[in-house]
Amino acid sequence: MAYVAARGGERAIEQSQRLYRERLGTIDAARVDEIGRALPWLVDRIMGEASLYAPELAALALTQSGGDLYEAVLLLRAWRTTQPRLAVAEPLIQDKLFIHRRISAAFKDIPGGQILGPTLDYSHRILRTDILEGAAFDPEPVERSAEPAPPHQPSLASWQKAQGLVVDFAREDIPKDDIPDLTREPLLFPASRAHRLQSLARADTGGVMALGYAVMRGYGPAHPTVNELRLGEADVEIAHPRGTVFSAGRVRVSQAEVASKAAIENIDLGFCATLGWNEVKIIAGGTLDLNAQHATKGSPFEEEFFLSHTEPVEGSGFCLHFKLPHYVTFQSMLDAMRDARRKQAAKASKAVVKEPAE
Amino acid sequence: MMIDDEQAAHRRLLETLARSDASRIKALADDLLPELGAVEVLKSRSGLVMLPMRDTVRGIDFHLGEVLVAEAHVKLGGVEGYGMVVGRDLEHAMAMALIDAAAFAGLMQDRVRAFIEAEAAIIAKTECQTLRAVEATRVEMETFR
Repeated sequence: MAYVAARGGERAIEQSQRLYRERLGTIDAARVDEIGRALPWLVDRIMGEASLYAPELAALALTQSGGDLYEAVLLLRAWRTTQPRLAVAEPLIQDKLFIHRRISAAFKDIPGGQILGPTLDYSHRILRTDILEGAAFDPEPVERSAEPAPPHQPSLASWQKAQGLVVDFAREDIPKDDIPDLTREPLLFPASRAHRLQSLARADTGGVMALGYAVMRGYGPAHPTVNELRLGEADVEIAHPRGTVFSAGRVRVSQAEVASKAAIENIDLGFCATLGWNEVKIIAGGTLDLNAQHATKGSPFEEEFFLSHTEPVEGSGFCLHFKLPHYVTFQSMLDAMRDARRKQAAKASKAVVKEPAE
Repeated sequence: MMIDDEQAAHRRLLETLARSDASRIKALADDLLPELGAVEVLKSRSGLVMLPMRDTVRGIDFHLGEVLVAEAHVKLGGVEGYGMVVGRDLEHAMAMALIDAAAFAGLMQDRVRAFIEAEAAIIAKTECQTLRAVEATRVEMETFR
C-alpha cells in the first residue's frame, strides 16, 4: 500500500487551540509575575529541565502552557534556539557558591556545620483548608541570628579526600571552550563524564526520580546516603573586553554528592547538579551516577538506559506523537492482520475437509 | 600589584553595577548621558552564557546549563564600555556599559564613585540579612551518651 496525502481538519485544529486557550483566559504580565512569585520551586524545576536559567521566561512558559510542564520545557528549549551564545562563563567551584542550605546525612559534624536553609523537611504536611474558607496564611518571620552565616562553605569531599576516605582522582584542566557540550554534539555511549553530568542536569525530574528510586529500592547494588547537599547561588563570571573577570549576576543552583553505604576501602561517591533548586532530582541523579559503574546492560542504572529515557523533550515528544495520525501504519497493520486471519481460516477449513482415515 | 589593584577595582565596579537596582542605575545613566558626548553602540542584545561547573567527585568540568543575559558594548570617543547582566534587561546592561565607559574615561568620577558606594552598601546589607536568616537555620546538635 502506498502513502496517500490527506488534508482537512484545519478548522477543527484552529478551534481546538482556541478551546485550549479559552480555558486559560487572558494572560498578562501581572499573571506571569504572580506565577513566578507563587511557584518558585516549579520555576526552578522547569529552568533545570529546559537547561535555561531565565526565571521570567520560565514563569511565562508555565503561564502560557497552563502548567503543562513538558509543554513549558519545550517552549523554553525552542526559545533558547533563537538566542546567540555570547560566552562560556568561568567554571563554578563548590567553595565559591553562596550557600543557603548545606546538609549531610552521612556525617553529623561536617566542617562548616549543618545549615537547613529554606526547607519543609521536618514539617507536618497539613493542607490548610481554612484558606479556602477565607482565612489568610501569613508566614511567621524568620528570627534572624545576630551574626550572618559565612557566605561560602568548605567542600566536604575535599576534606574526605584529604583524610583518605574518598579517592582523590587526578584531574586534567581543559579550556572552558573545549568542555563537551550536548547542545552542540550528540550523546554517544559510553558517554564522557561531562556529557553524563550535563545530561542529568537537564533531565526530567520525574524520570530521574523513578529510575533513581528503582535503584534505591534494591535494583542497584549501592544504597545511597546523602554525603552533602547544597542549595546556593552561583556567580556567572565572564570576561570584560579589557580582561577583567566579573560576575554578571547570580543564579540558583543545587548539587548533591551521594555516598554508597557499602564502603570497604573507600567511600564511593556519585554526583549530580542542576540549575535551580531541585533536591529530588540531584539525589536521584547522584544515586544513578554512583551505581552506573556496576550496571549490567538494560538495567535502570545503566548509563545509556537512564540518560536516554530521562530527556524530557525527546521522551514527552515521542510519547505524545503516538496520538497524532498513524492511519497509514495502522491500516497496514490491519491489512496484515486480516490477511493472516484469512489464511488461518482457509487452513482451518481445509483441516475440516480432511476426514480421518477409517 | 598596580594592575591587580586596578583589576580588583574594575571588578568591584562591574559587579556592583550588574547587581545594582535597575531603576537607579538607569536614572544615573540618563543623568550622565548629556556629559558623555557621542555614544557609538557596538552591541545591545540578549543572548546566552553557558555555565560550566566542576564535579566535586572526579573534578570534571561539565556544562550545567545556559543563562539568559543582556549585553551592551559602547564606545565614547576612544574609550569602550561594557555591560552584562543576568536576565533580559537591555537598558540595565546599556546603563552599565555607559557608566563603565565614563569611569574609564574619568568622567563624572564623584557621581560614579558615590553611586557605587551607595549601591555596594545596599547589596552588602541585603546579603547580610539573607545570611542572618540562613544562620538561624544552623543545627546545634546534641549527642546523648
